[in-house]
Amino acid sequence: MATYKLNINNQEHTVEVSPDTPLLWVLRDAVGLKGTKFGCGMAQCGACTVHLNGNAIRSCSFPVSAVQGDVTTIEGLSANSDHPLQQAWVEADVSQCGYCQTGQIMSAAALLKRKPKPTDQDIDLAMSGNICRCGTYQRIKKAVHAAAEKGGAE
Amino acid sequence: MKTIVKVSRRNFLKVSGLAGTGLVLGFGLASGKNKPLNNIFEPNAFLKIGSDNTIIIFSKNPEIGQGVKTSLPMIIAEELEVDWNKIKVDQAPLDSRLGAQFAGGSTAIKTNWDTLRKAGATAKTMLLTAAATKWGVDAQQCKAVDGFILHTSSNKKLSYGELVEAAAQLEVPEEVALKSKADFKIIGTAKKGVDNQGIVTGVTQFGIDARAEGMLVAVVEKCPVFGGKVVSYDASESLKIAGVKHVIQLDAISSTAGLEGVAVVATDTWTAMKGRKALKVTWDYGEGESESSEKLSKTFYENVNKKGEIALRKDGDPEMAFESAAQVHEATYELPFLSHVTMEPMNYCADVKENSCTVWGPTQVPGSVSRLAEMITGIPRENIQVNMTRVGGGFGRRLMADYASDAIAISKTIKQPVQVVWTREDDVQHDFYRPAGMFKLKGALNAQGELTAWEVKATTTSRYLFRGSDNSPHATEIFPDGFPAGFVKNFNMEYTPVKTVVPTGAWRAPGHNITAFVDQSFTDEMAHLAGKDPVEFRLELLGDGNKEMPYDDHGGPTYSTGRLKNVIKLAAEKSDWKNAKKGLYKGFAAHFMFGSYIAEVVTISLDENNIPKIEDVWAVVDCGIVVNKSGAMAQIEGGIVDGLGAAMFGAITVKGGKSEQSNFDKYKLIRMKDAPHVNVHLVDSDESPEGLGEISLPTISAAYANAIFAATGKRLRKQPFNEYINDTSS
Repeated sequence: MATYKLNINNQEHTVEVSPDTPLLWVLRDAVGLKGTKFGCGMAQCGACTVHLNGNAIRSCSFPVSAVQGDVTTIEGLSANSDHPLQQAWVEADVSQCGYCQTGQIMSAAALLKRKPKPTDQDIDLAMSGNICRCGTYQRIKKAVHAAAEKGGAE
Repeated sequence: MKTIVKVSRRNFLKVSGLAGTGLVLGFGLASGKNKPLNNIFEPNAFLKIGSDNTIIIFSKNPEIGQGVKTSLPMIIAEELEVDWNKIKVDQAPLDSRLGAQFAGGSTAIKTNWDTLRKAGATAKTMLLTAAATKWGVDAQQCKAVDGFILHTSSNKKLSYGELVEAAAQLEVPEEVALKSKADFKIIGTAKKGVDNQGIVTGVTQFGIDARAEGMLVAVVEKCPVFGGKVVSYDASESLKIAGVKHVIQLDAISSTAGLEGVAVVATDTWTAMKGRKALKVTWDYGEGESESSEKLSKTFYENVNKKGEIALRKDGDPEMAFESAAQVHEATYELPFLSHVTMEPMNYCADVKENSCTVWGPTQVPGSVSRLAEMITGIPRENIQVNMTRVGGGFGRRLMADYASDAIAISKTIKQPVQVVWTREDDVQHDFYRPAGMFKLKGALNAQGELTAWEVKATTTSRYLFRGSDNSPHATEIFPDGFPAGFVKNFNMEYTPVKTVVPTGAWRAPGHNITAFVDQSFTDEMAHLAGKDPVEFRLELLGDGNKEMPYDDHGGPTYSTGRLKNVIKLAAEKSDWKNAKKGLYKGFAAHFMFGSYIAEVVTISLDENNIPKIEDVWAVVDCGIVVNKSGAMAQIEGGIVDGLGAAMFGAITVKGGKSEQSNFDKYKLIRMKDAPHVNVHLVDSDESPEGLGEISLPTISAAYANAIFAATGKRLRKQPFNEYINDTSS
């Protein structure tokens, strides 16, 4: 066991966990932020995507001991739950089961920061690490474009 | 025109509100009379209206991504005459008053359609009567609009909230009028999912997000070889890990309701996973070790090349027809096991106390969970509370409650609430897979290029046989009344079930996800052999006019050739089927299942290496009345992507009695770059609503394979396609 001070969504959290604990389980079980989902445990599906210093990482395969900097989860993506991507996702009625969508949105948010007006190909590439078994890709793409139009890079 | 329907008073519950605050209505309560007043707050009826104008509509069935939490309440809201934006939807728990509650067979809308309309209409009628009585006018002069009752001539107006106290005193009407389709304001529109905002902000609770005070987390080690048993285990290293609380051996319930295993119970998920890694279990693999996909494939081959064990259908004289045919063509198709891989892995929570038990989590069958809980704990069902969370995907996997029985058994032993969490590896290796199988087709044409005989010899690892039911092992594997049966004079269908230790179960569009691929691919083969356009060939087979064809299976008892021809013609028209464009190739497929009709067209191009790329997909669907247009289109879009992904990449291969795949690195799912743009056209219909959640999946692999044939002349008869696409031997 070791003690870690983590900056998550601009708040400091102190957790006592084993150093090999993936950030995913620290977020879900120790901090109680359950919007970040468990999907595969080997960085294959993207359901656990969060931002570390603004970059998308797969928290299921990222040990807490390696975390340096600011972590942003879906709960901290926007102050009022109104990030342009969140709005666009609701508007395009993207979600079916909805389980993968927080991870999808976090990947898309990292993309828009890098590339405020992405092409279809940019989106395909940036979202290639996120699986949706319900097959909502068409609406995800539509929502990413719509958010980009509205200045989603905020 | 309005339809008057009878409401059975015996089956209709009216509970007057606590201090006059509300009206609760629910059907199917056996002993509904004189319930105590505080029942008002039980979330177990269809709707609840508060004196503060709060309107809560309960969604009775599990929400697995098929959209019922939005579409079922839309049906109630339509008849209730309320503003959709002002109601709140809540998930109902398991409650016998709500009738059957499950997600399966694409049945939620069709089986609840009448009941939910009556539930809304009855409440509205009582509110109308209450207002009319208050004003001393005829109820016929009043109307319900957006949560208010209006007296048209005097402009008097009362909100539903102002009327609930009076309405709750009234007798439940015996007959209520239902709206006509022309007056629908909610049904048929596109409504966004009621949980959308919660989902995109991460606050919506899935099963895996559930927590209870003092809850521990368990992971369960199961035998890697199918059907194996625990000989012994050594938990000493596991118990050294800080946070590991218990290691317990679990007994088997049955091959479908819970396998034996060893559970590691800890304070949190990661610790439980680590505890399991340190666990040493000695297994008796039993006979399972000798099973393999290679061996099964050999058995399949033998089976389709001999007389089938079960003669399912014979029309005319197929032997004679093949002998006298101008052309005879044979082809063999083979399909692998598929895993469900719902994005939310299996998990379930249970809190078993001395005389009561509360369970919650993702399931398609809350009733089965309740029965299992009674069986495991001995607690009577009336003391078992089953709550439903949102479900991160079902696809048929969660028709099995094996993972729930683990949670119940562990909680009973440790006398604490527990959440069982499966890893993805557990999920892929202990699934109830889509059955694997082989289908040998034989067709005959006469000199005019007409289809004169059709034979299918099929063999699959029957899921009913796996369950232990020897009766009708072909059920949901193959459909004797499916197209083209009934349209070919000489027809023969034989089936041979294969018993295996590999667990099999329902996988989105069970049976159809194989038969539609096989039948619609072979129809295309015969059309090309006849030198006919594949669309024309199908229309010619279906014949003139409208016929009701007998269909003795789910979605029957009959299906309409007129409706099938209509979707075929519309799909051809919308996709511009007849006009060839340079470098673009099209494939066609059509199907009837679960009461609905579909036709799909896939357009592909080829890159410089002859690798196909899907340019466009068209789907035309007739499912009767559509409730939620956005949700309906989502099901069609998603099913097509899902079906393409499974056909391109999906395969569980068995070696040494275990799955060779265990995670998304080897069990591939379709990703965004391979997912095409799908155009959906929903046929405007006055027919009763039918199943929609599964229908778009089965045909798409055939339409895609037929497009590849049109482009390259190569027939893809084995899935996953991407393994065979460059294989020149087949």
